[in-house]
Amino acid sequence: MSELSAREIESLIEPGRISRRVYTDPDIFELEMRRVFGRAWLFVGHESQVPNPGDYVTTTLARQPVIMVRHSDGVVRVLLNRCTHRGAQVVSQRKGNARQMSCLYHGWTFDTDGTLASMPMPEGCPAGFDKANFGLAQPPRVAIYRGFVFASMAKDGVSFEDHLGGMKANIDDMVDRAPAGELALDVGMHRYMFHGNWKLQVENVLDSYHVPASHASTVTKDGKQFARREGDETGAKVVDKSHVSKDWKVRRSYDMGHGHGWTSNTMLDEGKRSSPAYDAYVQSLVDKVGEARAKEILTPRLHNSLLYPNVSIMGLNIHVRVINPIAVDLTEVIVYPIRLVGAPDSMNAANIRLLNVTHSAASFVQSDDAEAFTRVQRGLQSQLTEWVDISRGLGTEDHDDTYNAPRAQATDELVVRAQYRAWLGYMREAA
Amino acid sequence: MSTALIERPPASDPRRAFAPSEIEVFLLHEAALLDEKRFPEWMALFADDGTYWVPAQPKQESPFTTASLFYDDRTLMGTRITRLQHPHIHIQTPASRTMHQVGRPLMESGDDEAEGECLVSSTVLMVEYRDDQQRIFAGRQYHRLRKEGDGFLIVQKRVDLVNSETVFEPIAIPI
Repeated sequence: MSELSAREIESLIEPGRISRRVYTDPDIFELEMRRVFGRAWLFVGHESQVPNPGDYVTTTLARQPVIMVRHSDGVVRVLLNRCTHRGAQVVSQRKGNARQMSCLYHGWTFDTDGTLASMPMPEGCPAGFDKANFGLAQPPRVAIYRGFVFASMAKDGVSFEDHLGGMKANIDDMVDRAPAGELALDVGMHRYMFHGNWKLQVENVLDSYHVPASHASTVTKDGKQFARREGDETGAKVVDKSHVSKDWKVRRSYDMGHGHGWTSNTMLDEGKRSSPAYDAYVQSLVDKVGEARAKEILTPRLHNSLLYPNVSIMGLNIHVRVINPIAVDLTEVIVYPIRLVGAPDSMNAANIRLLNVTHSAASFVQSDDAEAFTRVQRGLQSQLTEWVDISRGLGTEDHDDTYNAPRAQATDELVVRAQYRAWLGYMREAA
Repeated sequence: MSTALIERPPASDPRRAFAPSEIEVFLLHEAALLDEKRFPEWMALFADDGTYWVPAQPKQESPFTTASLFYDDRTLMGTRITRLQHPHIHIQTPASRTMHQVGRPLMESGDDEAEGECLVSSTVLMVEYRDDQQRIFAGRQYHRLRKEGDGFLIVQKRVDLVNSETVFEPIAIPI
């Protein structure tokens, strides 16, 4: 593999355009795995997935197998799922509970904090062999905010606090919607994949420009999308007489630094939002936090938030979405429905059901996005055109004082440009 | 007399012996409607309170506490079918072609079935071709059927895919 120089990497990104190679070049992908995913704070999972000591889930971080496990001391650990002896994956189930974890190959056995507890025939180890050096590897930095578990594979780098920055408020926005003040990602998951580069999905979560075209099949003759929230009769007005509607154009996007960003919601008819499940939920929230605060919480602010590079939190159809790069042209996406702890079961059931039709592999929305990503990947095989255009709104962004962030119309590409600024920051420096 | 052997019909003619029950005919008809993309007619097979469920976990207990690939009541089914007929459904451009194979029906009804209802299971195999790729969905499906006049209505349909929890490429056609 040829290593790209800093100058070559910088030449891939221009103010309003990026080289097709960032999506198609396997060498760049391998470099991303080390320089972006090998350094950045990555979302691993949520504490609610492992409520009891010994509970674990397995996943991958930039192809590396990891275990998220709650140790007997109650603390959630992130461990590399790789035996320190000959390298086998130690845990093979997607989730479970274990007092200890034994490698199938030669029987090395680890405690749930990663410590090597025992091995068969220890007398065969050479003099000076120290079990303490053979615990399961752990990412050097792990941080948890309101149950969201993040890890960085690098010892040094931006602190978690600085990395999260203003996006903390977006996590709060979601968690505060739960009457009990906590979320749970314990109601299953959706998994879909597409034959395209991981950044296509990352860009798309904050892309309000694609909706009228990509999701035309979800919009009825009156230009409105199907109802995506419990208690709504219809969804947002997307199209007006074949033009993008005024409602849609008022959405804004915000560049929050480090590649993060978010887009504001289209205001639906909040006064009319009502159903037995929704009304019971509102009451449960009012009972906990009072009328005024409940109203504040329930006023939609966020459509979607991205914590670069691998997770988004969606405020409309509430879920957490993890983007897992597998190859330069293959990506897996995991969608966890959010359970609002303390909300009536009927409200959580309604959220789960709506997410089936918005973000499962068989959904009305995500399936057309995946088709778009696949076609982009194919289109970019065209070598005669080097550049991918991301210039919408270039130079017209203003500054939002409330969030202290550059702001643009959400149909502009400000937040995509912000992602590539962060990408360049990670990529230009040798790991 | 040895020549008589080849003139004598087989002891049982499988084609003649095939006498499908009205329930089997119903299941085969449903499969044909899906393959022929007659989605409104497929939807009309469901009772007003009918549901179509494809769990995303093996042995999933509930569509209300766990995510599913599909859990449509008639409202969602209607939205799904309107979209399937929309000229700009990109995931069906080009369109899929499917073959639903239904087999090995078994009567599963216990003593607790409601009056006039029965529960039938069968194997289902959907081969789907689209955009130069062919893939297979396989599983066991359960139909809770309600006798209605000369025919049946589907009260519940559940499809347990053998790979329900896997990572899927987009799915547009019901299984």
